[in-house]
Amino acid sequence: MTAATAPRVARPKRPSRSFVGLLAFLVFAVITWWAASEEYGLNFDIPELLTNLTRGADILAEFWPPDFSVVSRTIAPLLETVQIAVIASLIGCSLALPIAFLASRVTAPNLVAYILDRSILSVVRALPDVLYAIIFVAALSIGPLPGILALILFNIAVVAKLLSETVDGVDQGPIEAARATGANRLLTVRWAVLPQVLPNYVAYSLYAFELNIRASAVLGIVGAGGIGNLINEFRRFFQYDALMVVVIEILVLVIIVEWISIWLRRRLV
Amino acid sequence: MIRFENASVTYPGGVHALKNLTLEIPDGQMMVIVGLSGAGKSTLIRAINGLVPLTGGDLTIDGVSVPGAKPKQLREIRSRIGMIFQTFNLVNRTTVLNNVLMGRLHDAGTMRSLLAWYKPADIEIAMRALERVGIVEKAYVRASNLSGGQQQRVGIARALAQEPKIILADEPVASLDPPTSHVVMRDLQRINRELNMTTIINLHFLDLAKVYGERIIGMRAGELVYDGTGDKADENVFRDIYGRSLTADDLMGEAAAAG
Repeated sequence: MTAATAPRVARPKRPSRSFVGLLAFLVFAVITWWAASEEYGLNFDIPELLTNLTRGADILAEFWPPDFSVVSRTIAPLLETVQIAVIASLIGCSLALPIAFLASRVTAPNLVAYILDRSILSVVRALPDVLYAIIFVAALSIGPLPGILALILFNIAVVAKLLSETVDGVDQGPIEAARATGANRLLTVRWAVLPQVLPNYVAYSLYAFELNIRASAVLGIVGAGGIGNLINEFRRFFQYDALMVVVIEILVLVIIVEWISIWLRRRLV
Repeated sequence: MIRFENASVTYPGGVHALKNLTLEIPDGQMMVIVGLSGAGKSTLIRAINGLVPLTGGDLTIDGVSVPGAKPKQLREIRSRIGMIFQTFNLVNRTTVLNNVLMGRLHDAGTMRSLLAWYKPADIEIAMRALERVGIVEKAYVRASNLSGGQQQRVGIARALAQEPKIILADEPVASLDPPTSHVVMRDLQRINRELNMTTIINLHFLDLAKVYGERIIGMRAGELVYDGTGDKADENVFRDIYGRSLTADDLMGEAAAAG
């Protein structure tokens, strides 16, 4: 005998198939049909969309060639957009750090602080940044300040949410070790948790900054400062060739910011 | 002196990890706890520094009750007890020195420690702790770049940096190979003798327990079933503790000959 046979034991019965996946797909399909249907929804029709696509061609043609004579007018508002994003990112991401630690069961000092912090975060997250900008413009007047405030709230919502989930998943061993040395809770978080999540925190903050550059272009449309004011003006006076310049500038700016953040992430993480 | 008086721990799930334990550990003793996994060894060790709270009875260190301590008092008790872990529990993403300085947090001031602005005296204590375990040259290396044996020595240095009176070690060599295990065990033995620190170690390898345990206690199902010196603990004693006959898996092998 060379090959020893393993002792035979009863093999487990194959569990019956679950239809949850199929059911979920059907529910999803029905909801999509409802949203697009003629009677109950948006009357969304793909063939019609394709035939109508050419109708905008005349307007689109007005975007070209770009009218580069407006470049000098765009520089200052574009700079303002960058400044809004920088300030909002710095303040928002700094505030997000302690808020994230309070929003994780791993690091929250007690259940009350945890629930309170999470509730506030949910409320902050519930409204989109443009809506915050509209509210702050109404309350504070037109200018970069309402834009900055709206983006600070946006950054807290995004970074605190992502970071608290990262904190939930940290290695708990170092936390036990720090507690065992007699360190207080704050220092335990500082030395056992923060080093573990720091690369993520940097990455999330850079991501928030990229989103801020994009968002502050839109926020200007509702009067919250930056290049958006100019976009609104060009749009209202049908100066599409001038608008095209702004579109190109934002594109270039976003790409540059993305390069910088990729470079930074590689160096810091 | 550490004193357990009818100490019990019942976990929320209903598991009795420690049952009416009464035990005295005099200052400076090197005591090894043996027993199968689930016998309550880890619970016993963590009860001493209050990481696992007692659900019955009392536990005092030099007359001060651990279960009765307020949070601030408990942190002070913990600061005088160093702890070493099976999986080292280092922060891999930071330097060896930062890991060892964790042992100074209890005394370094919250504001200063938050900003990593340590006093030169604290850094000196951390460096000396690293010298004692022979890896001071790794002070500015990331902890993740060290081998398992080196990482455990950083864990020991972190405990030493507290300048504790007691060292607790929960399966300190279970993640290490046999030669490295002996190096780490000898480090612990040397520290126990030179610094006269009470040292309490969980081990599951019986031969290691016999070599290094000045005193051995055996745990089974949360109860103390043996208490005696290392040389009196023979095969019959271990069979009794384990409740079964011994196998090769219970021995580390590769005798202390390594050094």
